[in-house]
Amino acid sequence: MTPSIARHTLRGSGLDRVLPYLMLGPALFLVLGVIVYPLIDGLRSSTGFFRFGRLIRSVGLDNYRQAFNDPAFIEALVTTARFVVLAVTIETVLGLGLALLCAREVRFIRRLRATLILPMIVTPVVVGIVFRLIYASDVGLLASFAHAFGVDPPQILSTGSGAFWGLVFLDVWEWTPLLFLILLAGIQSMPVEPFEAARVDGAGAWRTFVDHTLPLLRPTILVAVTLRAIEALTTFDQVYVLTRGGPGTSTQLISIYGYQTFFQFQQTGYAAAMLFIVALVVLIGAGFAVGLMRRRGR
Amino acid sequence: MIRSLAGRIGWSVAVLAALVFAVTPLIWMVLTSVKSNREITQDGSLLPEALTIANYVSLFSGRQFGAYLTNSIIVTTLSVALALALGTMAAYVLARFRLWAGMQRYVGFGLLMVRLLPPIVIIVPIFLAAQQLGLLNTQLSLIVVYATFNVTIVVWMMESFFREIPVDLEEAAMVDGDTRFTAFRRIVLPLAAPGLVATGIFAVITTYNEFLFALVLTSTPAAETMPIGAATLIGRINVDWGAMSAAGVIGALPIVVFSIFVQKHLVRGLTMGAVK
Repeated sequence: MTPSIARHTLRGSGLDRVLPYLMLGPALFLVLGVIVYPLIDGLRSSTGFFRFGRLIRSVGLDNYRQAFNDPAFIEALVTTARFVVLAVTIETVLGLGLALLCAREVRFIRRLRATLILPMIVTPVVVGIVFRLIYASDVGLLASFAHAFGVDPPQILSTGSGAFWGLVFLDVWEWTPLLFLILLAGIQSMPVEPFEAARVDGAGAWRTFVDHTLPLLRPTILVAVTLRAIEALTTFDQVYVLTRGGPGTSTQLISIYGYQTFFQFQQTGYAAAMLFIVALVVLIGAGFAVGLMRRRGR
Repeated sequence: MIRSLAGRIGWSVAVLAALVFAVTPLIWMVLTSVKSNREITQDGSLLPEALTIANYVSLFSGRQFGAYLTNSIIVTTLSVALALALGTMAAYVLARFRLWAGMQRYVGFGLLMVRLLPPIVIIVPIFLAAQQLGLLNTQLSLIVVYATFNVTIVVWMMESFFREIPVDLEEAAMVDGDTRFTAFRRIVLPLAAPGLVATGIFAVITTYNEFLFALVLTSTPAAETMPIGAATLIGRINVDWGAMSAAGVIGALPIVVFSIFVQKHLVRGLTMGAVK
């Protein structure tokens, strides 16, 4: 907190006294109306039974009970968890390696970094298209390569495990740049002294990495992993374009299942309850992330 | 410092591999988009034998991509501008004032939690509300929703920027006769310009790319945005690969061009948007 003399002047003239409320008001009004109110409304919907989009009666916690007795919901949770753990782990390892590579200030490094982050800028829906053009068994990039080398084209989107790993690979391609960026910022703000000392002591590159880089970078890695995991938990756009959850239910993430429950199966109350369970998981993760950031920053 | 020749070669190889990994999928999409459909489906060639723009022409003549583009630009511009205006004022208050009952702390924390909450959680009530208000399939509904999510981003990023600006500068301006608000506008805002640029870039990219709310709230080219246009080309019985890849290129082009345009501030904007 900045100790501010401004607080005294605040008591001065009449307008300056209400000014902070006038300046905060519009933003707060928007957030309350468009996010907080719908949240509360959604919480109410999650305890209701709907037919044709109309609330028929309240059913208490039945929708939540239904969720935990719904094999499809449990399966979607497990699929999502597997997806998040696999994708975020690979992204962190690759992102860290890439950040270490690109931390040096050499020629063209800025342009190089800007190019490497292209995948996270490209519209997620388009990323879905890009990977359909790669995986397609008849016209895809992989099929064309297989064709050129005279081998059978790989079946990716037509098998369950193929589609799942195809989705993990897509996510790795798209979001490794994010981990790269955050970790790069972390590396660039590390103190130089420990590294100079290590060099004087004649420590090798690997020892320096394990003894100094990793411990110093640990808080940044934790924040980056938590933030990415929170977002990965509700991955939607790319799956919608790439597989729509299929084949079967092999890529049916929780967001896809929730969306279909509402828009295809018209089970408003149940969909709301399901999404609130997800929200709860995310809020716990978010609280964790905020705690980490508070401790690190400010 | 890389000293040995072997180290230098190793570095170059690794960087080159990363570049190829990042760019190849996109290049493949561009290549596919300029092939004829006959070449795509029958020849299985890597490089196009004859270039064609037929796929692109079809997007704009028969498929409304002009409308999607217009909608995207309108929705993104207005919602980001609105969010920057309202968000910077709110962020300034949170950074500088002590409100009634220490309210600024709870508001700041609340906004941060809301920012981390995944939007999908509220699609059901948002859809129902838009339906009741008769706002389904309008640009206005998207503008309002996007502006709100952007406000949380702007407050989050700008608050720390304002904190770093010394209070003395506003004090001096106010001694010279400025009101608090004029001091904010004349002194603080220009000093926070780098933060505004970074925030704006981050907000533009996330808003242009947004898919879920656009999918839920819009249904015709009157309000549909670019990501919807690109996504709805898929899923017909016959997949038109040429048109689909052209749609991908056109869909991503505005935001990629924007990124090249703001290249100097891009890395900072994206990093700050992620962790502040």
